[in-house]
Amino acid sequence: MYRQKYLFLIPGLLTLVAIIVFPLLFTIRVSFSSWDVIQPGLDWIGGENYARLWEDERYWEALLRLAGMAGGTVLVQYVLGFGLALLVWREVLLKRFFRVLFLIPMMTTPVVMSVIWRTIFHESLGPVNDLLQRAGLEALPWISSAGLAFTSVMIVEIWQWTPFMFLLLLAGLLSLPEEPYLAARIDGAGPFRTFFRVTFPRMAAISVGAILIRLIEASKIMETVYVLTSGGPGTATETSSYYIYIRGLRDFQLGYAASLSLIYLIIMIVSLTLIGKGLTRIFVKDQA
Amino acid sequence: MRTLYLALKYLAILLWSSFVVFPFLWALSTSFKTANGVTSGATYLPWVDYEPSLLGWESLFGGAGGINIFGPYLNSVIVTVSASVVSLVLGTLAAYGLSRFRFRAGFVKNGDITFFFISQRILPPIVLAMPFFLMLQTLGLLDTLPGLVIVYIALLLPIAVWVMVDFFNNVPRELDEMAWLDGCNPIQTFLRVILPNSLPGLVVAGMFCLIFGWNDFFFAFTLTFTNTQLLPVAIVSLNSSVTPWWALSAACLVSVAPLLLLAFLAERFLSRGNLAGAVR
Amino acid sequence: MLELEELERSENGTCILGGVTARFAPGKLYAVLGRTGAGKTSLMKAIAGMQALDGGTVRHNGEDWAKRPPWKRAVAMVYQQFINYPHLSALDNVAFPLVRRGLRRREARERARRELERVGLGSMVDRRPSQLSGGQQQRVAIARALVKDAPILLLDEPFVNLDYKLREQFREELVGLLGAETGTVALYATTEPREALQLGDEVLLFHEGRLLEQGEPRALFAAPSTVEAARVLSDPPMNLLPIEVRAGAGNLGSLGAVGEGTRIAELPDGRYHLGLRAGDLTVGGELSGEVVLTEVSGSETITHLDTGDHELVLQEKSVVRHEVGTRVHFQPHWEAALVFGEDGRLLHGRREGGHG
Repeated sequence: MYRQKYLFLIPGLLTLVAIIVFPLLFTIRVSFSSWDVIQPGLDWIGGENYARLWEDERYWEALLRLAGMAGGTVLVQYVLGFGLALLVWREVLLKRFFRVLFLIPMMTTPVVMSVIWRTIFHESLGPVNDLLQRAGLEALPWISSAGLAFTSVMIVEIWQWTPFMFLLLLAGLLSLPEEPYLAARIDGAGPFRTFFRVTFPRMAAISVGAILIRLIEASKIMETVYVLTSGGPGTATETSSYYIYIRGLRDFQLGYAASLSLIYLIIMIVSLTLIGKGLTRIFVKDQA
Repeated sequence: MRTLYLALKYLAILLWSSFVVFPFLWALSTSFKTANGVTSGATYLPWVDYEPSLLGWESLFGGAGGINIFGPYLNSVIVTVSASVVSLVLGTLAAYGLSRFRFRAGFVKNGDITFFFISQRILPPIVLAMPFFLMLQTLGLLDTLPGLVIVYIALLLPIAVWVMVDFFNNVPRELDEMAWLDGCNPIQTFLRVILPNSLPGLVVAGMFCLIFGWNDFFFAFTLTFTNTQLLPVAIVSLNSSVTPWWALSAACLVSVAPLLLLAFLAERFLSRGNLAGAVR
Repeated sequence: MLELEELERSENGTCILGGVTARFAPGKLYAVLGRTGAGKTSLMKAIAGMQALDGGTVRHNGEDWAKRPPWKRAVAMVYQQFINYPHLSALDNVAFPLVRRGLRRREARERARRELERVGLGSMVDRRPSQLSGGQQQRVAIARALVKDAPILLLDEPFVNLDYKLREQFREELVGLLGAETGTVALYATTEPREALQLGDEVLLFHEGRLLEQGEPRALFAAPSTVEAARVLSDPPMNLLPIEVRAGAGNLGSLGAVGEGTRIAELPDGRYHLGLRAGDLTVGGELSGEVVLTEVSGSETITHLDTGDHELVLQEKSVVRHEVGTRVHFQPHWEAALVFGEDGRLLHGRREGGHG
């Protein structure tokens, strides 16, 4: 009776299938070939690429580094985002202004902001070291030391994406019912008890969702790295995406890079699913 | 006690605000500097620390040491806006269909189709970049605007579907049924009744499309060379060359300005809790 | 003439509609009575073509509607939620179906204005639904349904979300508004027996997706064919007392012996159920029970009494305060009792001229 329903769904569905699914299937095929800059084209070399990536330490290191970077930034983003959402949730002077202001970083182009951040972290001309020195501290090698370069990337990521966490959590807070708070007030519960007894349990499901969404996005980190440190010093800030990019689109070893990216994708999907399940169990089950 | 609490609260707000604003202020300040203000260490306040000049801004408009970002700017606008519009149209239609009708193909049901749309956001750009590269090469669309628009649709369509499915799920079904009984077939129902009442959802979905489209760097970078440079690519390429900081800063500010403006314009739609349901 | 034949639907093992067969004649108001989830809304949606069915046919004036989508069925409906088009003024809301049907805008608006005046909203035609109160919104919805002159009008608990006083007022107005629609089959879904009996030219009793019984209200009230039907029709709940009859009399323990002067005297020996409505017990008399619960609903008082071996519900048509724990004397009017067999089928209905 509702034959027209297909008119709604089909155009979008076909478009997405055409743009994404076929290229993806093609990638699977390419991953079994030795396609590179010298010999472009599809041949069949079986699982050779996969055997090679198993031995590729740089790949696995990049993956571990990514896990650390994504986990670390998302955790900080969650804590900060929740805090910020709580700050402007209830009555605050200039509430609407601050709400937008807090959102601003996520509206900006990550690479463009990274260009600015690069000048900020500049070791001799940038304001960070200048301010440190004025405060009587030592200038730090923000980009040229391995540990600090990692930190710099994380700072930029946190600046950029805490707003997204903030947005989702604020939306969640705004949709909470009013009654439990009245009850808590009547019971004379202080702000901390109110938070842990009333707010947090109700935000559990949203928290899991927000953390997952951010983890998905964070697992793609590469643009910040590209602009800020180019993966350096050495490979100190090289993430999976960035390493695959070097293999695939700089060295043009398409066959090998295809196998790298597929394994990367599979690991991501599996681990995100597990993390999602785990988080749901920890956060959401308690309140039942 | 209460005063202390309030003081801490506003202190926290102020601290984070300054962290948020700092890069912009720094770039703004730098954009008015000349060599004197940059090469001798960090300076902050115009007239106090350095003598401001319009050199940086003039260079954007073909002044001294001119950098041309006008072409890339226009390209970015064209690609972002057209991909957003197409994604919004296709995504809204698909979302409405998924929200209102039952689809079934074997074991695949509505939830699975919705998940298929949204799950595209999981794919890292790098996984898609290589097949996209080969696809556009085959189609002869590498380094062209239409090629980029196609790729951006794939990026933005899932976002549009994600926001709009959630939005439509919160529009009472009875509204559709009422329209049917008043003589509208599903298409008329959508156009005459649902669409006119969907502005909040469309604004949020549209904003997200514009944000993610305007801010993409990776695809623009890997799928174009010199003919069709988009804005972020142009700016990053300035970064790696010897462009003076004042011109670079001015270019950066010009590049992020439109979305900042948009943020303040669409403010009332954003924090309304529109997204709460989508995350659950 | 609207005919339903064997409408069937079950979802996840739950019966939504179970073999519903019914006929509806134009010019009559049919009250569809049942508890929440009894299948009233599903029935209406099936008629409107918006309920997926596993089987059965809907026929209107002899034409099978199976292949006819909702937008081609001449049906108007009012929901319990106040559903109007939020982006249109009250006037354009009411004009909308007319414009869709091909009327020119000016003419449609003219008729819409008249219809809005009829429901008492003549001065608010330019307001958006969000600028109207709940009652006014529902008036707009009613006007939009009536303006179509549809041969089938479905009212799905239209007043349930209005406050008590407004509900009474709307009910009266509705009768007036419908009086003019002689060619219309009107269905009115409700959970309140009294409303159904007052409003309906005929009453349909629904329980768990099944149509238990259909009939004229007085007849139905006097002689519901089963215990189940009697229960759906009774609010407050009917007192159901098992009784064993020997030689034309039975003993109800604390309620004493029952027999002479009632239908029981005519019954052969066996087990039966007596159905005594709460209104067929009056205060004062020899029997007494302890008050377990008492509540005032509108202008009536409903009291639950414990007599030791029975719990009875008693209804008074005035506001009275009974303290919980005190004893209240009462008199059952056995001559008004319904007599059901052991299988739950009615053997004897209420005698005409009975109490209440």
